[in-house]
Amino acid sequence: MKSFYFKTFQRDSKVYLSRSSSFLGPIVFFLITITLYPLAFGSDEEKLAELSAGIIWISILLANLLSHQFIFNEDYKDGSLDLVLASGKSLFLWASIKIFVNWYFSSLPLIFLSLLTSFMLYLPFDAALILALTLFLGTPILSMFGALAGALTLERGNIVGSSIVIPMCLPALILGILAIQSFKNEELFFYIFLLAAFLFFSIPILIASCLGAIRLHFE
Amino acid sequence: MRQLFNQLISFPYFFKIAQISFPYLFLLSILIILLGVLWGVFFSPVDVTQGEVYRIIYLHVPAASVAQSIYYTMVIASITYLIWRIKMAGVFMISMAPLGAIFTFLALFTGAVWGQPTWGTWWVWDARLTSTLILLILYLAIISLFSSFDRRASTDQAVSIVVLIGGINLPIIKLSVEWWNTLHQSASITLSGSSIDNEMLIPLLISIFGFYLYVTAIGMRKMQVEILKREISHNWVKEIFKEKR
Repeated sequence: MKSFYFKTFQRDSKVYLSRSSSFLGPIVFFLITITLYPLAFGSDEEKLAELSAGIIWISILLANLLSHQFIFNEDYKDGSLDLVLASGKSLFLWASIKIFVNWYFSSLPLIFLSLLTSFMLYLPFDAALILALTLFLGTPILSMFGALAGALTLERGNIVGSSIVIPMCLPALILGILAIQSFKNEELFFYIFLLAAFLFFSIPILIASCLGAIRLHFE
Repeated sequence: MRQLFNQLISFPYFFKIAQISFPYLFLLSILIILLGVLWGVFFSPVDVTQGEVYRIIYLHVPAASVAQSIYYTMVIASITYLIWRIKMAGVFMISMAPLGAIFTFLALFTGAVWGQPTWGTWWVWDARLTSTLILLILYLAIISLFSSFDRRASTDQAVSIVVLIGGINLPIIKLSVEWWNTLHQSASITLSGSSIDNEMLIPLLISIFGFYLYVTAIGMRKMQVEILKREISHNWVKEIFKEKR
């Protein structure tokens, strides 16, 4: 007998893998955004190397906005959200699993891709590793804020959600960029730890407010 | 005390109080702002380093101060709404957010006008300017949330969740913007560097006080409008308008 939470995990993973739009969408979007920057700013090696960390961070932030509508929206439409709410299971755990699956399928591939694209943008390899580390710590924050925005605008997925998410995500972006820029001195750890602190600080607060946002559609 | 609070959060009572006190508060605030600004512009001494230009401080500082204070009062209202479900807190947030956006814009605009002659540019990516811009974006995002729900109570709750998260996040954003800024460039002019002379400080404080009174008055008026929108079918509203006719 598999538990409810494990089944949620399995089902969501299957849904993500079976639909190419939700799985490939962020990847294609990320790659095309990355391509736009050299086209707009010119292919000068030094200039691109200077901009590359920021380019990758911004592209991932934007790609994340595409996927956050999927997290709770379909469960709301087909009515299974009602059943989960009525079932008395731990909603906190359930929402965490859903957000984790979303992160796993939409952000984790992008983190690996960022290693590849950082070569294309002339970022030094050690800086690229730091970049991947900051993305590893930063993208869950983006996913959680995205989940909050998606939960707030369940009925009509619109631009409102994104405009709320982006200003909230700024500390993650700034700390990530600062860490990469200071990757040769000791301040690196300061920024990495701050980013991790921001992540762990936001887990309980954001997931709890996600649940608050979901409940207000059922009052 | 408790009774007074209970009366203030009831819609009819608040409506009556606001109806009576609005004209006085509004006139008083206009007079005080005029006193502060005119005193500042015509009678306070000229700044040694900046010349006459600095006089825009009598609009800029009050606007910036009000813009931030409105957000913090909204955070308090959001906590109040989420814990006690007091409807008045929802009315308060929805009425104050547009005011906050306007004053943030005013602060940015007067800042740009001030920055042009003193710094040589309209805009610098300075920590304080950037976080004020983010505050403006946050206000606008909150306002854009108003129309995404069909039910009033859902709107109130959604707004209070976003306001609260933003309130927790705002100090973090400010701190991180400051770190970002120190790495990129140092601020060209800091206010704390030169202490303000008393003759400039007094009209400035008067002007700030006037701005706060003005926001209180206009905020009350906006809350009245919001209450009317929500309670239009209730008897007490009909009675008030019958009396007038």
